[in-house]
Amino acid sequence: MEKQLEDLKVIREMMEKSSKFLSLSGLSGIVAGITATLGVAYAYFFIFGGHIAAANILMIIDACIVLIISVTFGVYFSWRKARKSNQKLFNKVTLKTIYNLSIPLLTGGIFSIILILRGESEMVAAITLIFYGLALVNVSKFTFDEIHYLGITEILLGIAAAIFTHNGIIFWTIGFGICHIIYGSIMYKKYDLK
Amino acid sequence: MANIIANLNKAFESRIRLGIMSILMVNESIDFNTMKELLELTDGNLASHIKALESLEYIQSIKQFVGRKPNTKYIITNLGRQSFQEHLKALETLIK
Repeated sequence: MEKQLEDLKVIREMMEKSSKFLSLSGLSGIVAGITATLGVAYAYFFIFGGHIAAANILMIIDACIVLIISVTFGVYFSWRKARKSNQKLFNKVTLKTIYNLSIPLLTGGIFSIILILRGESEMVAAITLIFYGLALVNVSKFTFDEIHYLGITEILLGIAAAIFTHNGIIFWTIGFGICHIIYGSIMYKKYDLK
Repeated sequence: MANIIANLNKAFESRIRLGIMSILMVNESIDFNTMKELLELTDGNLASHIKALESLEYIQSIKQFVGRKPNTKYIITNLGRQSFQEHLKALETLIK
């Protein structure tokens, strides 16, 4: 009986390990959430509040800095988690994960930049949330189940932001800030502290 | 009880073979080195288990070249998939 149970555990473990990106750390989510919140705060108080001439360009730069910091810490924490469990960070599953995440993400990113440059930034909050949500749902089959629900949450917030365009910044802060911190903490507790 | 135990496949008694089959169940194909890393085995050890599963026709090797380097990848056969599923079912019935 013991052997059979242990056998089933091995089967499950090998199936997951060979087909899923499990080095994703909850800490990445927490850092991304905090950075996004600070980025929004900067945009809200200094870019919108200050009547700066090149506001659109500044907003793109602000967003890019947030993205770079989040991705850097994301990679760092994943690398640390992979090393802890004696895994290589970059293998076929990692590349598959990145590929599946990038397609909706880059599409949404380029689309948003085009809209901002055209001066039609009303829907940008909604579009970034929706495309990010779609990217997460798309990639969730290669990683933890929580990512699927985070994706659905982002999509719903994006739709809400499209309806209430004047409150776009609030939905954006909830989606990229608070949701990341909450989901990051849940995943950190559930998977990293083991 | 005796009947159920008879359904357990002797070929999958070893954890390593169980691991190889599990990996190939969920991946279209896996090359030798990736398999080695996943199972944390030495070349010789993995090769002997792969050979055993190949001779049972549960898995199949495909030799190819990546650039100039020879590279062997493995896929599960229909027979292998079926046998593994039966084994899995037997395991699950046993622990119920």
